[in-house]
Amino acid sequence: MNNTNKWLIVILAILLCQQVMAQNNQTQNNQGTITLSFIPNVAGKPLVLNDSSYTNPFDEIYQISKFRFYVSQVSAKDKQRSQKEKNSYHLIDAADPASLQFSFSLKPGKYNSIDFLLGVDSVRNFSGAQTGELDPVKNMFWTWNSGYVMLKLEGRSTASTALNNRIEYHIGGYSGAFNTIKKIHLDANFEIVAGKSVSLPIKTDINTLWQGAHDIRIAASPVCAIPCALAMQIADNYSKMFSIIK
Amino acid sequence: MRKISILVLFVGLVWMAGFFMSAGKHEGPWKPTYLSFNIPAGWPKPPKDIFISNRLTEEGFQLGKKLFYDGRLSKDGNFACATCHQQYAAFANYDHDFSHGFNNAFTKRNAPPLFNLAWMPLLHWDGAINHLEVQPLGPITSTIEMAEQIDSVLFKLKKDSAYRRMFKAAFGDATINSQRLLKAIAQFTGTIISAGSKYDKVQRGEASFTPSEQNGYQLFKTKCSGCHPEPLFTDYSFRNNGLSVNKLLNDSGRMRITRDNKDSLKFKVPSLRNVAISFPYMHDGRFFSLGEVIDHYRTGIVTAQPSLDSLLKKRIPLTNMEKNNLIFFLHTLTDSTLTHNPRFAVH
Ligand code: HEC
Ligand code: HEC
Repeated sequence: MNNTNKWLIVILAILLCQQVMAQNNQTQNNQGTITLSFIPNVAGKPLVLNDSSYTNPFDEIYQISKFRFYVSQVSAKDKQRSQKEKNSYHLIDAADPASLQFSFSLKPGKYNSIDFLLGVDSVRNFSGAQTGELDPVKNMFWTWNSGYVMLKLEGRSTASTALNNRIEYHIGGYSGAFNTIKKIHLDANFEIVAGKSVSLPIKTDINTLWQGAHDIRIAASPVCAIPCALAMQIADNYSKMFSIIK
Repeated sequence: MRKISILVLFVGLVWMAGFFMSAGKHEGPWKPTYLSFNIPAGWPKPPKDIFISNRLTEEGFQLGKKLFYDGRLSKDGNFACATCHQQYAAFANYDHDFSHGFNNAFTKRNAPPLFNLAWMPLLHWDGAINHLEVQPLGPITSTIEMAEQIDSVLFKLKKDSAYRRMFKAAFGDATINSQRLLKAIAQFTGTIISAGSKYDKVQRGEASFTPSEQNGYQLFKTKCSGCHPEPLFTDYSFRNNGLSVNKLLNDSGRMRITRDNKDSLKFKVPSLRNVAISFPYMHDGRFFSLGEVIDHYRTGIVTAQPSLDSLLKKRIPLTNMEKNNLIFFLHTLTDSTLTHNPRFAVH
C-alpha cells in the first residue's frame, strides 16, 4: 500500500464519521414536534388552587387544593398509522405549571387524532419499583395496596360531611372489576411539518367529575380513596373532561 | 514522508476512537459481581422472575442487607426492617402477636417470617402487595410502623458517604433514588431461601426421620397438604381456615383488597417451614403453640362461616397421638442453616 492510499483511507474514514453525525442530526430535522398542553378549569373558570370557589351541577360549592393525573402511552394517529411517544409517562399537576405541557416528535404529515391513557397502563402497576414520573416519591403510588393513583382531586366543600369538610378523591385500580384506566381518544386535525412545532391546547374540565354517566354528589361521597365501584363511576365521568380548543 | 503518514493515520484513529467512545458515557469500568438465583433441587420455578429487571449482584445484596438492618429508614431511627423481622425467628417477630411500631403503636397483623419470597405471587396476609420491590413502601410510610417519608429516607442516605459508595458499587454510579433503594432491599429479601431443614435433608437422603416424625409426615400429607403442599408448604392461595373473627380487629382479609364478599375472612396460606420458631401463629398471632393450632383444626374451626374452605367443613379429626406426631414432624421444618447463616446476619 502506498502513501496516497493510506491518506485516502484516513480521509474516507473521517468523511464516514461526519456522514453518520450528519445523518443523526438529519433524522431530528426530518421530524416535527407536537406539544400537548392541559388547561385545567372548572366549567370554563380557570383553576386557581386553594382560592376560587366552584359550583358543581348539584349546587355544591367546593375549593380545590390538589389536582393531578397521569397521562401515559400517548400516540398520534392518522388514517393509516399510529406514532407512539417513547417512554410516555406524564404526571400532570395543577400545582406545577411546567408539568401541564409536554412535547414529542412526529413524522411530517396530516394527523386526525391524539390518543392516550388517562392513568398508568396496567403493566407498570405490577412490575416493581419505577422511577421518573412514576417514582413513588411523587405520592401517586398506593403503599397499602400496590398500584398507582390515576387521578387525585383534593379540597374542601361545605357540602362535605368528612373531617374538616374535606373532599378527597384518589382514583385508582388497574385490573379486574376495578380497572380505572381510561382510553382517551381526541379528534384533532393537525399537520406536522419538518422542523416546526404544533401546539394542541386541551381544556380539562374538572366539573365533569360530578355528572355524566353517573351523578356524584359531594354530600353523599366526599371521599373515595380505594379501588371500588364508586371510583369506577367517578372515572367514567371524568374520562370526558378533555376537549381540544380549536 | 512514510513516518508522517503513519502519524496522521494514528491521530485519525485516536480521533475516531474518541468519537465513538463519547457516544456512551464512560465513568470508568463498573464490574459488579453478578450472582445467580439458585432454585433448590426439586422445587418449582418461581411463578415470575422478580429479578428480571433487577439483576442480582453481590454489591446489590450487601446494600440491601445494610438497608434492612438500618433504623434510619424509620422516622425516629428506632425501627429497622429487622426490628420486626429477626433472623433467629426465620425473620418473623419472635414471640410477638403484634409488633411494636413508631410512637408505641402496634401493628394490626402478625409479622410473618421472610423466606422463599421469590415464589410468593402476592405479599402480605391479604395479598395487598403485588411485587417484592414495592413492599418496603408499606412499612416505611405506615404511621404505625416506621412512620417515615421515602424522600426523607433518601435525604438521610445521601448524606452518608458509606451509602454513596455502596450505591455506586451496586448500580454503577452514586445516584441514590427510591427505585435503587427498593431494588437493593429486594435483592436481600428475595434471596433469603430456606431449603436446609431436616425435612430437606431427609428428601435428599442425607438424614432420616424418627418413627414419630415419619408418622407425622404421613398424617401431614393426608390432612394438611391440601393447602400447605410440599416443597414450599403453602400454595399461596387465600383461604378461610375457620378462625373466629377477632372483634377488636374485624379484619376481613382478602376482601379488603378485592371488595368481593366471597373473599371475606380469607388470608394467605402461610408456609409451614420454620413454623416451630415463628410463633405466635395466624394473621393475628392468636395461637402461641403448635398444640393450640392443631386443636383449632381438630375442634376449633367455626363451621358456620360461609367462606370456610371446603376442605375444613368437617374439621380435621386427629387423636392425641397423631397430634403429637404431627408436631414432631413440623419441628423437622426448622432450618438452622437459615437462622445461623452469617450471610443474612448484621455485621
Ligand atoms: C413495625 C414492624 C415491622 C417493620 C418495621 C417492618 N415490617 Fe415487614 N411486616 C410486618 C407485618 C405486621 C407484616 C404483615 C403485614 C400484612 O400482612 O398486612 C409484614 C409483612 C412483610 C412482608 C410480607 C411477607 C409475607 O409473607 O407476605 C415482607 C416481605 C416484609 N414485611 C418486609 C419488610 C421490610 C423489607 C421492612 C423494612 C423496609 C419491613 N418489613 C419492616 C411488620 C413489620
Ligand atoms: C383449607 C386449607 C388449610 C388446611 C387443610 C390446613 N391449613 Fe393451616 N392454614 C391455612 C390458612 C388459610 C392459614 C392462615 C389463617 C389465618 O392466619 O387467618 C393457616 C395457618 C396455619 C398455621 C399458622 C402458621 C403461621 O405462621 O402463622 C399453622 C401452624 C398451620 N396452618 C398448620 C396446619 C396443619 C398442621 C394442618 C393440617 C392438620 C393445616 N394447617 C391444614 C389453611 C389450611
